[in-house]
Amino acid sequence: MSKKITTTFTHLTVGIAATIGTGMVATSVVAAETEWAGFIENATYYREDVGLSKFRNTGQAEFETKFESDTFRSLKLNGTFRATYDGVYDLNDDEFGKNSGHAYLGENWHGRDTSTAVLTPGVPFPCDNDPTLCNNLNGYMDHKESDAKTPDFNDQLDFIRELYVSADKQLSNGDVLNIRLGKQQVIWGKTDLFRVLDVINPVDYSRHNIYDELEDIRIPQWMLTAEWRMGPNSVLDDSNLSMVWNFDKFRPNNLGTCGQSYRIIDAGCFFSSSANLQLIPGGPYSQPVPIIHDVEDHDWSLANTQLGLKWEGVYGDATFSVNALTYRQQLPSLHFRPIAPGAPVPAADGVFDIKFPRVNLLGGSIDYYSMGMDAVWRLEMAYTQGEEQPRDTDGHKETDMLRYVIGFDKNIILPELGTRSAFLLSTQLFGEHILDHERDMPNEADNWIGTLLFKGWYMNNRLSPQIIIAHDVGADATVYAPSVSWSPDNNWMFNVGVNIKSGGKKEFPWGVASAFGDSSPQTEPLARFTNGPIGVAHQEDEVQLSVRYSF
Amino acid sequence: MLKKTLLSAALALATLTGVQAAQISEDVIQNSFYPYKTGTPSFPGLNAGMTINQANVDQFKDALDPAMYTFIKNGATQMKVGATTSFDLHPSYVESTRKYSSNVSLGANSGEVSPTVAGRPFPQEPSMDDPRAGEKLAWNYKYGYNWGDSAAIYPFYWKYRNMESAKVERTIKMNFHFLNFTHRTSQAPYPAITPNPSNLFRAIYVQVLEPFDVKNTQLLIQRFEDDTKVDNAYLYLGFQRRVRRLSSGQTTDAFLGSDVMIEDFEGYNGRISDMKWSYKGTKNMLVPMYNHNEMPLDPKTHSDKDGYQVIAFGGQGGCFPDITWQLRKVYVVESQPVDQNHPISKREHYIDAQTFIIPRNITYDRKGDMWKSWTIGQSHPDYHLPINKGTGVSIDDSFSMIDIQAQHCTTGQFKGIVAPDLNPVDKFNVQNMRASGS
Repeated sequence: MSKKITTTFTHLTVGIAATIGTGMVATSVVAAETEWAGFIENATYYREDVGLSKFRNTGQAEFETKFESDTFRSLKLNGTFRATYDGVYDLNDDEFGKNSGHAYLGENWHGRDTSTAVLTPGVPFPCDNDPTLCNNLNGYMDHKESDAKTPDFNDQLDFIRELYVSADKQLSNGDVLNIRLGKQQVIWGKTDLFRVLDVINPVDYSRHNIYDELEDIRIPQWMLTAEWRMGPNSVLDDSNLSMVWNFDKFRPNNLGTCGQSYRIIDAGCFFSSSANLQLIPGGPYSQPVPIIHDVEDHDWSLANTQLGLKWEGVYGDATFSVNALTYRQQLPSLHFRPIAPGAPVPAADGVFDIKFPRVNLLGGSIDYYSMGMDAVWRLEMAYTQGEEQPRDTDGHKETDMLRYVIGFDKNIILPELGTRSAFLLSTQLFGEHILDHERDMPNEADNWIGTLLFKGWYMNNRLSPQIIIAHDVGADATVYAPSVSWSPDNNWMFNVGVNIKSGGKKEFPWGVASAFGDSSPQTEPLARFTNGPIGVAHQEDEVQLSVRYSF
Repeated sequence: MLKKTLLSAALALATLTGVQAAQISEDVIQNSFYPYKTGTPSFPGLNAGMTINQANVDQFKDALDPAMYTFIKNGATQMKVGATTSFDLHPSYVESTRKYSSNVSLGANSGEVSPTVAGRPFPQEPSMDDPRAGEKLAWNYKYGYNWGDSAAIYPFYWKYRNMESAKVERTIKMNFHFLNFTHRTSQAPYPAITPNPSNLFRAIYVQVLEPFDVKNTQLLIQRFEDDTKVDNAYLYLGFQRRVRRLSSGQTTDAFLGSDVMIEDFEGYNGRISDMKWSYKGTKNMLVPMYNHNEMPLDPKTHSDKDGYQVIAFGGQGGCFPDITWQLRKVYVVESQPVDQNHPISKREHYIDAQTFIIPRNITYDRKGDMWKSWTIGQSHPDYHLPINKGTGVSIDDSFSMIDIQAQHCTTGQFKGIVAPDLNPVDKFNVQNMRASGS
C-alpha cells in the first residue's frame, strides 16, 4: 500500500496562481496529505553469445500532494523520481563499456564487406576514449561510461522524471480550465511500441531499444499545458481544447552511445566512427575523416521552443482528436559537408553535421467502437512538413511525411485455453509514406510494420502470459517476444521472457563503396535504415528476468 | 436514431408540460414502497437475534437461497438474524413514481419501453400470468433509486481471497462514482442533466488507487437511455497513460482479476436487452440488510479521521461479511444471456421488493452448474455516515463474490457517501480519465 504522510505544514501561501499565469490572485492553501508509492526493480537480461546484457537496478518513487484551495477546484503537486544503476558495464566489461570494442563497424549485426574497410569501428564512449570525437559529438552522443551506468544523474537532472503543479479552475459557465506546469510527459496518440502523434517528449532508446514501455523511456520536459475542458454540448458528448508549450531546451532522442548494450539501429557506433578516406589513392586525405563534424546545438531561445494544439472530443461511438504541433525532429539528420562548395567529397574534419530541423505536424486520431464486431478500431495519422530523410548521395533530403496506424482491439473468451478470463487481441499496422521519395533513400517510399499482442490472464490476473510479435515489412525482420508475469501478492512481481529477432540481412548500394571499387550492395551505413530497429538488432536474442517490489 | 429522437421528444414534452395520465393508485404505491407498514414477515421459528448454523439450517431452508443454505449446511458460515426494518426510499423518488409511472409500457422487443421520466416504472405487483413480468422487474431495477442520483464509494477495498487457505492474495483500493444523467429526483437538476447529446442514462467511474501495478487504472461506463445501444466503456491504463475503448466482451471478464465481472456490479450491470428475464415468484427470504453502525467493524482495513470503519469479514476464507440478515419480501427473477457465447447460462436474482436493489445473486456456468454466489450487504442510510442520513439510499456496504468451483472469493468493503459534490458531471467523461491519470 502506498504510504500516506500528513504534512505538518499549516497554511502555506503558494503563489502558484500568479506563476501559472491565470491572472488569479493566489490565496491561502492548505497542504493535505501526501501519498507516496514506488518500487525497486532488478532487470537481468542475458544475450545469446554475448552474456549479460542488462543488470539494471531501479528505484522509483512517486508522490502526490493535494492542496485545499478556495481558488482552485483541484490543486496538486506531483513528482516522480528515479535512480538507475546498470551493472552490466562492471559485470560484462568485455562486451559493454568504455573498454569494449568491435573488430569492425556493425560487427554485432552483419558480416564483413567492403564497407567495413571504409569505416572504422565506432569508439565506445568517446568522452572516455576519444576527446576529438567527444568534441565533435558535442553534448549529444558523447556520453561517458558513467552516464550509461547511472543514466538518471546528469546535467539535465533526469532523476526528476516528473515534477509539476496542476490546478483546475471552474469557470463561471461550468467549463474547467486546467493548467499544468513543470517537468512532465504529455501523451498524444493511441499506439503501442511506435509513435505517430506521441512525439512531444523525446525518447531514450538506450534503455531497451523499442521494447520498454514508453512511460519509462520518454524523456520528460519542462512544459506548460493548458486545457479548456468544455464538456458536452448539443452535438458532442465531450469537447476539450488543449495547448502544450514545451519551453525546455531542445533534446533529441537518445539513440544509445557506442559501448552501450542497446543502440537503436547501431547509430551511436556509426556517429563515433571515421571514414578511412586516406585509403583512396591520390586523395586529399592524410588520415581518417570523422563521420560527424559537429552537432547543431539549439541554445534556449523563445524561437526554439515547441508548441502544440489539440482539440479532442467524443461523438457517439467515436472519440477523436485533431492535433497540430511545431517541434524539432528528434532523430538526427546528417548534412553532408563538402571539402569545398559543390565538391562531391567530404571535408577533412568531418563528413556530416548533425542537425535537427524544425517540423510542423498536422494529424488526428479516431477510436471507433463497432457494435457489430464488438471490437474497437483505432486510426491515427500524422502529416509532417520539414522532416529530413537520409539518402546516399547528399546525406539528407527534406520531405513531407505521412505516418498512420490502424489498430484493432478485441477481447475474446477462449475456454479451450483453460481460463474464463478474456484474452486481449490487439493488432496494429503502422504505415510510413515518404512523399518526395528518391531512389537513393535507404527507406522505401512506403513501409509497414505490423504488431500483434495476445495476452491472457490466469489465477485472478496474477499470472499473465503474453506474446508480442512485430514484423517490419520493408526490412523483412520480425521479433517474437513471449513473456509471463507472476504477482504472488500486492508487492512482488516476477517477469520472465525471451526476445527473439530475425531478419537484418538487407543490404543497400552505398555509393561511397564504389570509390573503393565495389558497386555491390553494402551493409554500412545506410542499410541500418533499411533493416530498421528490429533487423539491426537481430543478433540480440535475449532471455529476460525482472523482479520488482512495489510499495 | 428515429426511435431515440422520438423518445427524447416525448421525454421533453412530458417534462415541459407535465403531461401525464391519471395518477397511479395509492394502494399500488403503498404496497410497492412501504411493504412493512402494516407488519413484517415471519417464518416459523425464526427470531431476530438468533443464529442459523449447521445444526438448525434445515429448519430455515425455505427462507434461504440455495447457495447460502449450502454454505451454512457445510459449515462455511453462520447467519445472524436481525429485525426486519423498512428501507424507505427518498420521497422524491416515490413522488416521481406517482407522477410519471401510470402509463409506462413495454415495447415490442426486450429492451424497449415507452418514454419514462423518473421513478419506478412498474410499481404494480408482478403476476405469474404476465409473461413479461421479469422484464418489468428488470426495468424497475435499472431505473431504481440504487445509489440515488449520484454517490461515491470513497474508498472501496477489494480483497482477493483463497477460500481454502484464507490467504489474502491481493488488496485493491479504489474509488467508485455513480451519476444518473436522467431519471433524477433528489439532486438538482431534475429530471435530467443537460446538455446530454447521446442521451446517456447513467455512468460509473472507477479509479484504482492501490496497489502500484494497477494504480491509476480507470474505468468509465456510460449507459444509454436507449437500452438497445451497447454501453460506452473506456479503460485508462496508468502505465500507458491513454484511454482505450473496451469491447463489450470485457464486461463479462474478471475485472482486474477479481471474481467479479463488470456485468456483476450492483447485482446486474448490463442492458435489459442483453438478457431474457423470467419472473419466478415472490417469497420471504433472509437477505443481507442491516444497520452498519451496529455491525462488527474492521479498523485494520480502513479507519479514517472521521472515525468511519468498514464491515468486518469472517467465515470460511474470510469470504462472508459479518453482518445480520433480515427476513424480507423478495422477487425471484432469472436472467439468461441472449448471447450464446456469454460465459454464464443464467443468474438467479433475489431482488428486494422495497428497494429493488439486488442483495443476492446466484450465477450458473455454461454447463448449468452453480458457479458464483453474490452477496451485497445493504446498510440503512440512517445508521451509517451522518451525511447519508435521510438520503433514502439503501447503502451498498459490503460484498462477497464467491467462486464456488474455484474455492476463491473477492470481498468488498465500502465507505459509501451520498454527496453530489463528489460526483461532478465532468468526472464522467473521457477527458477526466486523461487528466486524472497522471
